[in-house]
Amino acid sequence: MYSKRILAAALVGALGVSACGANDQKAPGDAAAKPDKGGTLRILSESRTINFDPAKSQSLAITTLGLVHRRLTGWQNAVGQPAKVVPDLGDTGRTTDGGRTWTFVLQEGLKFSDGTPITSADVKWGVERSFAPAFGGGLGYHKDLLGGADYKGPFEGKELDSIETPDAKTITFKLTRPYGDWPWIASTPAFAPVPKGKGAEPDYQEHAIASGPYQIATYAKGVEVKLSRNQNWDGSKDQVRAGLPDDIVIQLGQDASVVSQRLAADSGDDKYAFGASFASPAQLAQLQANASAKSRVVTSKSGAIAYLALNTQKAPLNNVKVRQAFQYAVNKSNYQIASAGTAALAGDAATTLITQGIEGREQFDLYQTKPEGDPEKAKALLAEAGFANGLDGLTLVLNKSNNQTEKAEAIQAALARAGIKVTLRSLEADAYETETNLADNPTYDLTLSSWQPDFPSANANIQPLFATSEIGKGGYNISRYSNPEVDELIEEAQSTVDVGEAGRKWAAIDKRILQDSPVVPLIYTRNSFIHGSKVGSFFIADFPAYPNYLQVGITK
Amino acid sequence: MTKLVLTRLGGMVLVLLIVAFCTFVVFYLVPSDPALLACGKPCTPENLALAREFMGFDEPWWQQFLTFLGGIFTGRTFGTGATAIHCSAPCFGYSFRQNTDVLELIGGRLPVTFSLAVGAAVLWVGVGVAIGVYAALRKDSWFDRAALAGSVIGVSAPVYLVGLLGILVLGFQLNVVPVGNYTPFAEDPVRWAWGLVLPWCVLAFAHGAHYVKLTRSQMLETMNEDFIRTARAKGVKERTVVGKHALRNVLLPVVTLTGIEFGSLLGGAVITERVFSLPGLGGLLIEAVHSRDLPTLLGCTLFAGFLVVVANAVVDLSYGLLDPRARLT
Repeated sequence: MYSKRILAAALVGALGVSACGANDQKAPGDAAAKPDKGGTLRILSESRTINFDPAKSQSLAITTLGLVHRRLTGWQNAVGQPAKVVPDLGDTGRTTDGGRTWTFVLQEGLKFSDGTPITSADVKWGVERSFAPAFGGGLGYHKDLLGGADYKGPFEGKELDSIETPDAKTITFKLTRPYGDWPWIASTPAFAPVPKGKGAEPDYQEHAIASGPYQIATYAKGVEVKLSRNQNWDGSKDQVRAGLPDDIVIQLGQDASVVSQRLAADSGDDKYAFGASFASPAQLAQLQANASAKSRVVTSKSGAIAYLALNTQKAPLNNVKVRQAFQYAVNKSNYQIASAGTAALAGDAATTLITQGIEGREQFDLYQTKPEGDPEKAKALLAEAGFANGLDGLTLVLNKSNNQTEKAEAIQAALARAGIKVTLRSLEADAYETETNLADNPTYDLTLSSWQPDFPSANANIQPLFATSEIGKGGYNISRYSNPEVDELIEEAQSTVDVGEAGRKWAAIDKRILQDSPVVPLIYTRNSFIHGSKVGSFFIADFPAYPNYLQVGITK
Repeated sequence: MTKLVLTRLGGMVLVLLIVAFCTFVVFYLVPSDPALLACGKPCTPENLALAREFMGFDEPWWQQFLTFLGGIFTGRTFGTGATAIHCSAPCFGYSFRQNTDVLELIGGRLPVTFSLAVGAAVLWVGVGVAIGVYAALRKDSWFDRAALAGSVIGVSAPVYLVGLLGILVLGFQLNVVPVGNYTPFAEDPVRWAWGLVLPWCVLAFAHGAHYVKLTRSQMLETMNEDFIRTARAKGVKERTVVGKHALRNVLLPVVTLTGIEFGSLLGGAVITERVFSLPGLGGLLIEAVHSRDLPTLLGCTLFAGFLVVVANAVVDLSYGLLDPRARLT
């Protein structure tokens, strides 16, 4: 009798708990509603660390780092339009000597979160700081251009002579060569200001002095970062940040599949949250059954280019006809299925090197064929090149950490149709990087990779992947493509200041490179993200394939 | 007694040295370069060399190992001048990935893993032993059969599967427990416990199954011993026979298993922490593996080894409390 009473009490208790609802579920609101000012936005991140130190960050201008730090220039990105460089702390720069010297003027009345004024000296200090060996790990496209090969940062008492600050509002960069995209480079993280003389401590990322709409309120390592409003940020002087929520909470180390389920359930605080990681194809398939969740999935129109790189310095791939045969041998349709289950989720088949959403991009297809490819045409090209019996003994290296096995197997099967026999070799991330990016004489023939430019310029699509200077030594030219004519064209396009003219030059280079077929463009990979029902202004523009964190707000 | 304790301590230090050495060697055998993460993009050979030099990865592996051991007693300094990073003794390494001394990282994550392990252990030992005893006393009853069937499921089902099912059913469908939130005990004890209910239950289900089987078989064996028959013949109450005479003998292997499992769990319940997004030591270990964070990996492995060694020592000493024959003289 006694035990029955206990059981009954336990049942009543359990029902009571159920009624309260641990994860309060209510009908979802209108996800498309315009957000208001105020509220607390939550970002659910898989990562356990968020680096708010600009010198160490590789963050895009529109994601987490941009909430706390402004940069010399910013990005304006919108759906249906190519991304544009716009003023942020300073204007978009001017050059009087064809792109070798760039001068930027800062806006009046800018302040750090501690109330001190932001000056050109602080921007200079931030850039100089990125040269210190203690603050490595960030984007460093500026380093070579500023001639800092032997410079080890400002903490040794030396300044970088190539940066001048004639007054508190003006900053001039004297580059080693003309560079038309310098305003884009000025939007990379190292161009965020750090108060002069500060930031020597290794944990600066946890209490970085803010110039953006938010400051770091608390940084609980591996658990959570709370951002609160920076009272010294003036929205009228910032055209790239809406600064809508009062507070932002970034929950770290969240399991991606659980995040997807939480956001699909849309309960409690999760209504005000979005996931920072891509929703996987398996998660997206699950969400199809939930109409509310499905309506809260945002998928990019395009994204990083996924490609098959052919080692152009190794026989028989040093023969252009052989490489062109690969353009017809691959089956892009199967690759899409292997990537994400369906073509719609994977992304469109790619035919150009410049990705969508980049100014100057031209759509073309030098090797027109069906999405399934044309093995017969590939065989014919191989026969013309003297390989009538096909190719044997080629090695395709894979990065184990990129989950590429299925995709590589799809490529392997497609190539086999044209008589190209390929062996797959999986390498750990470090070994892969050493083999493809650092080795002088690597042994691989083929590899799979993908590339999203670090800034929205065709230059960032082309130069890192195809300039001779980027072969080995840490560069990303993994097809080891070297063509003096293309190098010259790249240098010429890089030094072109006029955006329209530069765009035309890059589009021509895109075609010229593909004539040599060092890579086979496969797809422009799509990214999907899911958000709660009270999150508004959550969009993915044409570039990059990530939501613009700086515009997101909370709806009523 | 003193000699025994000193021998045990010496053994513990030796085991930990071997663990540290093996971890070091394993990570030098695999092609990994921790300096790559601090090299930046593009990662030029010059930048990589600078990163290696700053992090101390430019020395031969044996020298790095000796420097690591030296750091435990004297501390270490990375770099020079204003940006130098000092890791004070006992320095178990410095994570350049997380910009923190490894010991501080472990200290920050330990309360989470400890919260998870203690609650789960209380549940699995308490419930597991109780079910095991009751099943043994009601051998071949429906309860016994149900307990055995349940324990087979508990032993066989992977924790990640039970965890994800728990989240799906109890978290989202029935909506009775919270998911993915950890609140520190000091901040709000009720939310702390409430947030851990599901992970505790999942871990207890997986581990408790062993205890049900172990306790049941030990209990059945003990209840047939001569001393139990003697106690009953002397007219000792059945509750005392079970609770005092039988259970005390049954608890010896239970304590051994609890000690070892608890020690291992404190080193990081990797899968449970991952599934429930708990920021504990298991998560730290996995992140370190993914991000080539060798100092953190070494520190976590060494710490986990330390816990297992200590747990073993505690188990050995606790035998004396339960079994007078094992008392040290």
